[in-house]
Amino acid sequence: MRLLGYIIRRLIQMIPVLIGITLMAFLFVKLLPGDPILILTGGKASPETVAALRAKFGLDQPLYIQYLLFLRNAAQGDLGTSILQRDPVVDIVIERIAPSAFLIAYGSLIAILLTIPFSIISAMRADQPVDHSIRIGGMVTFAMPSFWLGLLLMLLFGLKLKLFPISGWGEGFLGHLKYLFMPSLVIGVYLAPMLIQSLRSSLLEIMQAEYIEAARAKGLSPLRVMLKHVLRNALIPTVTILAVNIGWLIGGSVVIETVFSIPGLGLLLVRSVNYRDYPTIQGLTLVFGVLVMLVNLIADLSYAIIDPRVVYE
Amino acid sequence: MENIRNPKRHMGVLMVMLAFVLLVVACQPAPAQPTEAPPPPATTEAPMEAAPTEMTTTEGCTPTGEVKRGGELTLARLEEPLSLDPILITDNGSIYLQEQIFETLVVPDETGAGLAPGLAESWDVSGDGLTYTFHMRDSNFSNGDPVTADDVVFSLQRAADPDVSQYAFAYQAFDTITALDDKTVEVKLSQPYAPLLSAVSLFTGLTVPKDIYQADPEGFGNKPVGSGPFMVEEYTRGDRVVLAPNPYYWKLGADCQPLPYLDKITVLYIPEANSRVLGLRNGDFDVIDNVPFSEASSLESENNLLLEVAPIYKLDYLYINHSKAPFDDKNFDLALNYATDREAILNTVFFGYGDLPNDYMPKMNFWDPDVPLIPYDQAKAEELLAQTNYDGRTIEILVGAGDAPRKQIATILQQNWAAVGINSEIVELDVGTAWDRTVAGDYDVNVSYITSDINDDDELATFQGDYWAAGDTQAFFSRYQNQDASDLLKKARESLDPNERAKYYSEIQNTVYWDGYSVPFNFTPAVTSSWNYVKDFHTLTTGWWWLESVWLDK
Repeated sequence: MRLLGYIIRRLIQMIPVLIGITLMAFLFVKLLPGDPILILTGGKASPETVAALRAKFGLDQPLYIQYLLFLRNAAQGDLGTSILQRDPVVDIVIERIAPSAFLIAYGSLIAILLTIPFSIISAMRADQPVDHSIRIGGMVTFAMPSFWLGLLLMLLFGLKLKLFPISGWGEGFLGHLKYLFMPSLVIGVYLAPMLIQSLRSSLLEIMQAEYIEAARAKGLSPLRVMLKHVLRNALIPTVTILAVNIGWLIGGSVVIETVFSIPGLGLLLVRSVNYRDYPTIQGLTLVFGVLVMLVNLIADLSYAIIDPRVVYE
Repeated sequence: MENIRNPKRHMGVLMVMLAFVLLVVACQPAPAQPTEAPPPPATTEAPMEAAPTEMTTTEGCTPTGEVKRGGELTLARLEEPLSLDPILITDNGSIYLQEQIFETLVVPDETGAGLAPGLAESWDVSGDGLTYTFHMRDSNFSNGDPVTADDVVFSLQRAADPDVSQYAFAYQAFDTITALDDKTVEVKLSQPYAPLLSAVSLFTGLTVPKDIYQADPEGFGNKPVGSGPFMVEEYTRGDRVVLAPNPYYWKLGADCQPLPYLDKITVLYIPEANSRVLGLRNGDFDVIDNVPFSEASSLESENNLLLEVAPIYKLDYLYINHSKAPFDDKNFDLALNYATDREAILNTVFFGYGDLPNDYMPKMNFWDPDVPLIPYDQAKAEELLAQTNYDGRTIEILVGAGDAPRKQIATILQQNWAAVGINSEIVELDVGTAWDRTVAGDYDVNVSYITSDINDDDELATFQGDYWAAGDTQAFFSRYQNQDASDLLKKARESLDPNERAKYYSEIQNTVYWDGYSVPFNFTPAVTSSWNYVKDFHTLTTGWWWLESVWLDK
């Protein structure tokens, strides 16, 4: 029950942080020049129409009232109506969450599948040619702009080999797996080098530990020592890095979403900002905040699975 | 490791997220430009080889051409539809699809430049030009209900209501809109208004079924019901719209069977230009729109692909703020024109696609080809400049951030102008901010564009050229003031004689263009590409296409 108490406490702690985030996002976006109604009407609508639209979206109210209204409605699960799409923001965001979440989970999975074998090989052959090539290769894929890598993959897998479709996100679970493979691979090869770097150095550090000496002395094979004793102990910092980066990706996958035409949250955010669609920006900020904190909570909880000595208070 | 409640780290992540949001806010890529919303109305006429208008009556239809029916088409577009309720939107992503789903009494014809009967079979105009009576044909919505005069009146009235309609300006001359009976609509005007039929064909007034709309106004944009050739089978935001034939559609095809020819059309939202082009080559898409000019010639050279470069009502031009010195001096504005190598811009930025404009507005029906072009002449520019009191101050060239072609134009302008002694700097701002400053008059010049919503010259001629026009856009934010132009525009709007109107518009074009209203760059065409088995896919001057007449030869 200690664990449950911990989770509940963490969830409650999220509330003030979320209020802080929305307040800052609210103020910063409002400080920007650019009026959603003027952008929307393209300058041709009459002043009466513009005034009527302003009133409709509550933009004629003083700023603090607008914010308080937003908070009150948000507490009731209502994030307002999109100025651009005229639909409830909650509905719009829910529609868009699935592709983004699938993409990020898939990309992270690919990253993990790349990270574990490569960092073990790197650590076991530290400072040998294999290690160097893995690290240099990682630097190259990490430094490649994702839109460019995306286009290269499209050319290769899509146009030449005709293995994968080059845009959209498909239908059904298998469809998503197939359609999102290339974009997820782009995320994977972007994330993996960071994770490999971190995991490799903690593997090397743990390999120096006395209990590893002991395990070796017991006569365990090097691979077994690695998998059973070293890897588990070395994972925690890497999980943290992964969690931080997933946080980034939740709103930051926009480039990949654009290149592969995936109807996700990143595309929605950029469009909303361009049109100054305040309610949608606010709603997205809130959702991003919640998702980031949830990812971190999950990461924290996973520490206990990796290392049973971790106790939650 | 025991206690891992570490609020600092979480704050760090959150700050990073917030930083990202702000970063996006600060430096956005080019979005669909809000500078302008697009053009007008509903359904039209048959394809090239299909029935001419008089055949749309059922009796006596003679087949006019061979077409193949059936098949599915995938169309990949730059823009997504925001809503399918005509009253809510101003974006091309939405309008072009609504035109396939709804109709107006009168519709743009198969070129976009003319008008054809839509829901109205015919109409009468009273002698004083103040009363229009529309006689509607028997037609049905896609749910089987008949389209009544009540539906039309309801739709037009909301389009004319400034409290809900962003295009109420187009209906300003409307006094009353009434249903005389089930199938007759009467529009009374408060003053003669030549563009009336064009206004009736505008997308904002597309006919929605009154009862269905009023039962659920909020939900209508997601589940629209119209009387156009297609109905919406699926609408997934940010992804696709799937269209199926409306079984009740009235218009007949070249084979004397009801349109449309296709069984299904999937319209995909593919915002990345490279992804559209790759997808076309890959066979994932049959048609793509907004082909980047840089890719056009390579697609054109492929055997199985077609490229269409279609003239549309669009002008790329440099907005000039005439309320600010030195732009309040006509000589300076003309000097900017003489100093700008517009041919070079056309060739490098637009890859030669388009035409050099001799006009301050897009090329429309009353465009006069004989108005002389301001030549590229550095000596003349220097001469004019010497007559101004320009003090060498640095001019700000505003460009929407992330808009590579317009940034290129700005760079050429900067170099050209420097050659005659005009200093300038390029200021990149996100489109929202750039637009805000343009509206507020807080700018020098802005590299942007305009498109027309209506296939009548009046809308843009007046918006751009008449400082005192209703709507308070101050000659579309240029603050250009010319009383003569304003008077001529009024005459042109109120004259019902096309020849007389042509004369007025020619004079207006000559006056405003040669006043150095702007530096126009290109009558920019729309470029689409398709596989060669796609027949009769054509972009209208209004920007969209009549999907009802598209068929597949495969």
